Amino acid sequence: MRVSLTWLKELVDVTLPVDKLCERLDMTGTKVEAVHTLGAALDGVVVGQVITKEQHPDADRLSYCSVDVGADEPLNIVCGATNFEAGDKVPVAQVGTTLPGGVTIKRAKLRGLVSEGMMCSPTEIGVGGEGSGLLILDPDAPVGEPFAEYYGIADTVLELEVTPNRPDCLSMVGVAREVAAITGATFTVPASAPAEEGAPAADLVSVEIEDGALCPRYTARVIRGVKVGPSPAWLAERVAAAGARPVNNVVDVTNYILFELGQPLHAFDLATLAKRDGVAAVTVRAAREDETIRTLDGQERRLASDTLLITDDDGPVALAGVMGGEETEVSEATTDILLESACFDTASISRTSRRLGLISESSLRYERGVDPDLASRASDRAAALIAEVAGGTVAPGLVDAYPGQRAPLQLRLRTGRVNALLGTDLETPAIATLLRPLGLSAEGSGDELEVVAPGFRPDLEREVDLIEEVARLYGLENITSTLPGGGGRIGGRTSRQRFVSRIGSVLRAAGLDEHVGYSFGDPADLDRLGWELAPDELLVELINPMSEEQAVMRWTLTSSLLRALSHNQRRGIADVHLYEMGTVFITSEGRKQPKERLMAAGVLAGSWVRPGWNEPAPGLDFFDGKGVLASLLEALGVERWSVRAAERSWLQPGRTAEVIVRGDVVGWLGEVSADVLERFDASGPATLFEISVPALLKAASKVTTTFKEIPRHPAAALDLALVVPEDVTSERVVSAIESAGGALLESVRLFDVYRDPEGVEDPERRLPEGTKSLAFSLTYRAADKTLSDADVRPVHDKLVRKVCAVVGGEVRS
Amino acid sequence: MTIGEDLRALEAESLTAVEGATTLDALEEVRIAYLGKKGSLTAILRGLGALSAEERPEVGCISNEVRRALESALDRRREALERIARASRIAAEAVDVTLPGRGRPLGHQHVLHQVVDEIVEVFSGLGYRVAEGPEVELDYYNFTALNHPADHPARALQDTFYVRDLSGDTAVVEGESDVLLRTHTSPGQVHVMESEKPPIYVIVPGKVYRRDVADPSHLPQFTQVEGLVVDEGVTFGDLKGTLEHFVREMFGPDRRVRLRPHFFPFTEPSAEVDVSCGICGGEGCRSCGGEGWLEILGCGMVDPNVFGYVGIDPERYTGFAFGIGAERIAGLKYGVPDLRHFIEGDTRFLHQF
Ligand SMILES: [Zn+2]
Repeated sequence: MRVSLTWLKELVDVTLPVDKLCERLDMTGTKVEAVHTLGAALDGVVVGQVITKEQHPDADRLSYCSVDVGADEPLNIVCGATNFEAGDKVPVAQVGTTLPGGVTIKRAKLRGLVSEGMMCSPTEIGVGGEGSGLLILDPDAPVGEPFAEYYGIADTVLELEVTPNRPDCLSMVGVAREVAAITGATFTVPASAPAEEGAPAADLVSVEIEDGALCPRYTARVIRGVKVGPSPAWLAERVAAAGARPVNNVVDVTNYILFELGQPLHAFDLATLAKRDGVAAVTVRAAREDETIRTLDGQERRLASDTLLITDDDGPVALAGVMGGEETEVSEATTDILLESACFDTASISRTSRRLGLISESSLRYERGVDPDLASRASDRAAALIAEVAGGTVAPGLVDAYPGQRAPLQLRLRTGRVNALLGTDLETPAIATLLRPLGLSAEGSGDELEVVAPGFRPDLEREVDLIEEVARLYGLENITSTLPGGGGRIGGRTSRQRFVSRIGSVLRAAGLDEHVGYSFGDPADLDRLGWELAPDELLVELINPMSEEQAVMRWTLTSSLLRALSHNQRRGIADVHLYEMGTVFITSEGRKQPKERLMAAGVLAGSWVRPGWNEPAPGLDFFDGKGVLASLLEALGVERWSVRAAERSWLQPGRTAEVIVRGDVVGWLGEVSADVLERFDASGPATLFEISVPALLKAASKVTTTFKEIPRHPAAALDLALVVPEDVTSERVVSAIESAGGALLESVRLFDVYRDPEGVEDPERRLPEGTKSLAFSLTYRAADKTLSDADVRPVHDKLVRKVCAVVGGEVRS
Repeated sequence: MTIGEDLRALEAESLTAVEGATTLDALEEVRIAYLGKKGSLTAILRGLGALSAEERPEVGCISNEVRRALESALDRRREALERIARASRIAAEAVDVTLPGRGRPLGHQHVLHQVVDEIVEVFSGLGYRVAEGPEVELDYYNFTALNHPADHPARALQDTFYVRDLSGDTAVVEGESDVLLRTHTSPGQVHVMESEKPPIYVIVPGKVYRRDVADPSHLPQFTQVEGLVVDEGVTFGDLKGTLEHFVREMFGPDRRVRLRPHFFPFTEPSAEVDVSCGICGGEGCRSCGGEGWLEILGCGMVDPNVFGYVGIDPERYTGFAFGIGAERIAGLKYGVPDLRHFIEGDTRFLHQF
């Protein structure tokens, strides 16, 4: 809401300086979003009077003038304009002034004579008009006065944020009432009664409302014999200051009243309305199937069946409260006017305006609620004003259908309740004193008030609504700060929440940075990744996505991490270690809400660090990802986990594994396939993993940690190098060793994998074709004694024989 | 020359040799030359047997003196040479201590989650639990039970993301769905109040969604922390005191807080909370748009209508709620000029916090 301070001051006696007024508005709930100072660009331009005008001795087209600007000495000014005489009053830009066009006035020599300022044309000072002639002011213009003030363009406009509960503040009168209440100033409501003559309006117009719930009140007035034309300057300026485009005197009056009182009005050309025995029969009703109307903006609109319409006998003439029809619009040719001043259902207007994408000053106010009592007063004032600026006579009487008339709401306000909710210690009379300036009647004594809320405050329906008024007028800054004193509460995170935050801590300790990506997903990523949903799974589709690329909710964190990888790589950052924890979404036929599952995922590319002065920077691969997962699972206390070779369409075959905990697949890891990287504009090698957090939580919850005695006797370490066929996995050999080891075998660790280099000829080969060598370090230990070679050797030899038999290998010589 | 004179001459010669040895190896050679099996002193000592009984004690005495003198000279010299050797070894091993160390990079927590954790920490200290809720919500929880009228503008397709409802239900609002991406964490309030009895002290962090095009000051997805208190005797003063405590914990003890009346459908009275600008201290500067204050959150007393939806008696219990935007807090705290940084995953951004 744009509020001209000049206009406001006509309604309320504001004495506060602008910044104090703004602060007061802010602190009582009407935020001042901006303050515009109009005319500020004309600082330095004053009213001047030409005392003498002489021909410039060296230039035919210039004159040399002495101009009084109210200073001790008149200014000498060289001027090129010709439309003035000595004695004329003109705007004068003094030295140092910067005009709206950006020109700064300097003391300058023009053909040998010093000029100490500039007399201005309308265009030079941005007040409209044309040509190069000076703007000649009225003879009574006070010399020396700042021009902007004299010319009435000096104004301060406040841009107010009006909250949805305060429709009354969408009018100058409402803002004035509010300002009066919060500053203690006095305020007056402008009103006027039109002089009426001729045939009564009721002989010319009839009004029928089909559903009083949708239209609580509809009033019509008739003004005859108007002359439609441009508005007088004051009216056009007011309307423009409030943010509307001046159209013509009739429309401008309706807009003026809308801004002044908050009552939307609509003027119909009475001659264009269908007549029934000479009477225009206005009916307010819902649209019928397939009805259409051509609106003021020239668009033909097909109407939904719950659109509220103003109709005559021929059909729709306006979308109630939203926009008028083209055929009944007031034009230059209009002489007789039907002036509508009505009240419509907020929800109905809001639906129509939303559906048709039509938002107007009218619809904005109707959506928030217009006081039905206001309709008649606004109609009276508008009719009087139209007669004043457009001529014509107002037909006697207001045709008024008012099915929604209601008694004002009586509210009970308990002093105890006020203080209990606010934590204040207010007395009943003090509360009444706070409320009355808002236009509320507040009567009573003791510990209760009877409050009557006026029609312009539809937000005041309950006791708590009144308490809010008390709070803001008393001042939130005056309420003492305390802390809730209630006991019986236990704060903090649940064990599940702590587990989740632990996952992040471990991944960070492992060197990964946390990424937070969009929860939206691109359905095309199904193809990019080659991802196949399970037969009953469906993506979660948005009805109104921002874009095709964000049309669904993500079903994996993979794309989010690949995009972040690409983002970094395209900016020259090669070392990328990111993790993300977030919800993924999957639904299925028949579900209302999707399944939401928390996932943890990571991507590794480049190296952990750039190569250093004393360390190489090996490229990150599958095993770095696996190492991160191992740290994570260990830190979470998930003991029995393993991986097995697997396939995922977005990962490189042979470098892909599933993560298994107690037989369940809880996630996967692997190096991203080259095709997929290319589709995401990323480069490899890049290792990805994604794990289900609920699955980890389930696995971790089964683990109970108990103390194990720390060994007291030294261990015996023996190495074992086995040559095994290529297809025997390390895990298989390890598990064979573990199961053959018996009680003495404490641990086994793989320390080398050897293969003959490619292309080595037979005599040079150290291993048989199709085999590899795996070297393990075995640790034997007894709890009760130091093991001798004689103790270990037989056990070890037996283990070696068994393992070789199980995995089909032999000891490497 | 007598044997005695020979010995004295040998002593002088050997001591000179010891002093002349500059390495441990050279010193060892000296020792072998005099005291080794074939050493010259050894040879003399071996010859003692040939002496007469009168000569023997004197010569024996001298030769022992010479040997002791030589041995002690050797020891001293060895110690000295070892000291030198150690010193030169240490000198050789010295490093430029300003060279970079070895180590893996530390991972950084996303700044938004640092902020959320800080908020959780502050409110945990005040006895608040942490609750969660679904990101794909029902209209009922996101709007209806939070006292939003059926035609509330926030419900419009242009502001709220709606999700296709596969249950076969017809939407309450025509053309839309009753399933949506939550637009705030406030539905968490309703879930908590449905499932628990007061006293309730809870915060609900999470992602929320609104249909805004991503630009420096908007994102279609952001992070909120909701707070809710329902108890007997809770007042607006309690809300004010709580938020003042929070703001000082987050921004520092010298920052001032003000509450401005505002409107939210699910609280009444409602307020917006401003913190004094950290740069100008409230005088007004460019970073606070000349206002001296920065808006950081919205709050209010729980509206009795909301209590009505969840069956809490508003005459017995009162409560307050607030919603904190993590991006807003992080942006102000660290001066991040463009919200899109939060969501791009640029490691140069992530590493700053
Ligand atoms: Zn500032």
